[in-house]
Amino acid sequence: MANAKLWGLKKSPWVFHVAAASCNNCDIEILDLLTPRWDVERFGIVLVGSPRHADALLITGVLNRKSLPRVIDVYEQTPKPCLVIGVGSCTCDNHIFAPSYNVVGPYDKYIPVDVYIPGCPPKPEAIIIGVVKALKRLG
Amino acid sequence: MKKEYSEEILQEIAEKFPEVEVKIHAPRRLYLRTPREEVYNLAEYMFKQKSFRFSIATGIDTREGIEIIYHFTYDESGTYYNIKTLIPKDDCQIKSLTTFLPAANWIEREMHELLGVDFIGHPNLIPLLMADDWPADLHPLRRDYANEHEKLKLKKKM
Repeated sequence: MANAKLWGLKKSPWVFHVAAASCNNCDIEILDLLTPRWDVERFGIVLVGSPRHADALLITGVLNRKSLPRVIDVYEQTPKPCLVIGVGSCTCDNHIFAPSYNVVGPYDKYIPVDVYIPGCPPKPEAIIIGVVKALKRLG
Repeated sequence: MKKEYSEEILQEIAEKFPEVEVKIHAPRRLYLRTPREEVYNLAEYMFKQKSFRFSIATGIDTREGIEIIYHFTYDESGTYYNIKTLIPKDDCQIKSLTTFLPAANWIEREMHELLGVDFIGHPNLIPLLMADDWPADLHPLRRDYANEHEKLKLKKKM
């Protein structure tokens, strides 16, 4: 059964976009993916409006004290197995916000992250490559 | 109208508030260094009598004390009149402007939270930005703040 679930996930990953207090540049690059220039929908990647419909979470922004419980809530609501993709340098290592009083460290302290995509913001090509690598890891 | 400060307004302020020290920083930016007790009256006079617009207030922790700047703009000439005041750290309180200036409500809450300034007469002085479990006596923008957040426990953990 796990294989059937994985097959469904890999065939057409539905993505929920979690904007956890980002500066919106990564969000704009994610929107770029849906425009005709990159058009990820031809690969079956669809942005959905609820984590309950999602196979993958695209997380942007630095994790802080206020967004942490919300991110964990969203992760718990996502049906497993699911992919977690951190978009942007902020998700990798807190970037320039690391010394701040409100920042509580990278995401993999709290939820399992499959792939981090560095860049401030990462190019749409980089996001596509990251998602493809995450899907390849599933086998 | 000329795009610089007006001598008449400065003269009226000097007559009414002799303690105010005026420093002309630029043709369109003036600093009015005011003792803490006079800030409320000066701001009320500027806002109500002279129809200044309240832009924002800022606070900073300096070596001498906590400095609060109320930025007022005079839209006819496009000039800034900044009321600067210095509050000693051991008696960190000032009269709130919210009673006649509702726009100051949130910025005073923010300064109360991040710098620990008590605004006397504020109707709703509760935290604005920080997480709900942030301790009320910890002010992260103070100079003596030494990364105490690293010891704080997080509310929810997997």
